[in-house]
Amino acid sequence: MSDPPLDFPITATGLVRHFGPENNRVKAVDGVDLHVSAGEIFGFLGPNGAGKSTTVRMLTTLLKPTAGSATVAGFDVVTQADRVRRSIGVALQDAAIDPLMTGNELLELQAVLYGIPAAAVRRRADELLERVGLTAAADRRVGTYSGGMRRRLDLALSLIHQPTVLFLDEPTTGLDPMSRITLWEEVRRLNREGTTVLLTTQYLEEADQLADRVAIIDNGVIVQQGTPTELKAAVGAPSLLVSVGLPGGAAQVTDVVRALDEQGVKIQHLELSEPSLDDVFAAATGHRLEGAGTGTEPATDHEGAPAVKRRGRR
Amino acid sequence: MTATSPSPAGSTVSFDSASAPGGTLVRSSRGLALRGLRSIVRLPSAFLPAMMMPIVQAIAFSGTFFAITKIPGFPTDRSINWYLPLACCMGSGFSGVGMGFSTVRDLESGFFDRLRMAPSPPLSLILGPLLACWLRVMIVISTVLVVGFSFGARLTDGALGLVALYVAGLGVSTIAAGWGLGLAYVFGDMRAAALMQLTLFNALFLTNAQTPLFIMTGWLHEIARVNPFTNVLRLSRQGFLGEVTWGDTWGGLAAIVGLSAVTLWFARRGLDRLGD
Repeated sequence: MSDPPLDFPITATGLVRHFGPENNRVKAVDGVDLHVSAGEIFGFLGPNGAGKSTTVRMLTTLLKPTAGSATVAGFDVVTQADRVRRSIGVALQDAAIDPLMTGNELLELQAVLYGIPAAAVRRRADELLERVGLTAAADRRVGTYSGGMRRRLDLALSLIHQPTVLFLDEPTTGLDPMSRITLWEEVRRLNREGTTVLLTTQYLEEADQLADRVAIIDNGVIVQQGTPTELKAAVGAPSLLVSVGLPGGAAQVTDVVRALDEQGVKIQHLELSEPSLDDVFAAATGHRLEGAGTGTEPATDHEGAPAVKRRGRR
Repeated sequence: MTATSPSPAGSTVSFDSASAPGGTLVRSSRGLALRGLRSIVRLPSAFLPAMMMPIVQAIAFSGTFFAITKIPGFPTDRSINWYLPLACCMGSGFSGVGMGFSTVRDLESGFFDRLRMAPSPPLSLILGPLLACWLRVMIVISTVLVVGFSFGARLTDGALGLVALYVAGLGVSTIAAGWGLGLAYVFGDMRAAALMQLTLFNALFLTNAQTPLFIMTGWLHEIARVNPFTNVLRLSRQGFLGEVTWGDTWGGLAAIVGLSAVTLWFARRGLDRLGD
């Protein structure tokens, strides 16, 4: 018989982690407090070196905290590390998977290490391979997988024992946009099925798309915490970004500004965008290259003329 | 909670999903050993040196130093009978530290984190590679023996002599694996690799590896006399130099048990401290 569901499957109080000798100490995490509710996707957002991965490594029992305490699935990460490990699934940064093994072999090894009954191993492995769309590649060595396939296998490995709490450390870093969206859909599906997810990311869009609540960490300290809507509202009122095509070229900016002024629109920001190679790529393929702008608005109008993007308020 | 659909991380397979039972020591070790064995076939470049080195060594030493058998009192008239067991022990040692190299690769790639996060007994992370190592050693010794016999080596005490050699080889590999794994855990990167090789090479050569103790002099004699690996080599050579006797066996066994205990404790301590 199991324990009743926890309100907060992940908690941390004053979590601290230092590295290095006393005279040259680096404070990677400096007093993190967290309360992740059952069934939510919690986004841990921050730049490289902010302390996201170190926090996750402490919560997943890989690293002992210098100070503070944390519980995962109701168990202390230091004194009950084994109970924590039985309850969580973890996909760490870089999808570290043995390239000499096949997807099938890795899932079978993972099942053995988690004590899945021998009779259930094959069926569970097949289910997970199908779930992440790797059935056809199951008997290929992982060294031949693409980055996206590795990530999906990594996710499947972390689900072998049907964990109730899942840690995903930068799961989409380095993935192409399509692979990223596929992984997002899988994370949402897992969450719908009742899995609590703590997801670290350096992508604002990812946190915005996936997370019910977000904590922003910088220099080892959580500087903001709340729902994406709350956090955005705290920064200021919404603004409107409109793209206006200029078939007559950049000289038409004056006309646009004059027209807006006549209508009483207060312009906060005005930016002239010229077509880029990314726009050429997008026009040719229907999607954008990874890391090329936000990917949400075209830099040109449909005819390829330069566009004025303006953010204004009446 | 028993998983029935819908369940966390959805499944139709029924087992306790809120808390995995965790792998047993035997099953987890077997799984990890199997992984180690696969690498023999899939990464031969990591295995072949440990096999070729003792073959080359046995042939080269016995050919170069064939005249050593002319020394009065030398225990055999075939130089390869003297050097073949040494080569087998060397190959076994390098198979052992090979486990350390593999672990360094896992540590550097991050795969070892996945293994550490699994709720299986930590001892399986040492025992699994060790089982694979023992199988590799059996392959190495058997191959070196076949080559050695084709170059003129002869057993002087039949099967018992072979048993003594295999026991010595497995012992050296256990000592080396413990040492290699321990260094891998302490350093966490390839810095450990150089130390593994250097220390094992010196420990095995500062013995009666090349010549019997009675013709050694000075500081080398003193070190070789107290070096426990001298007893291990004595154990390994019995079946090639005369009869297997308890007098030449117990010292080697004691050295293997003692050194294995120390190096495996060092490995376990390093593993436990990885998260510090």
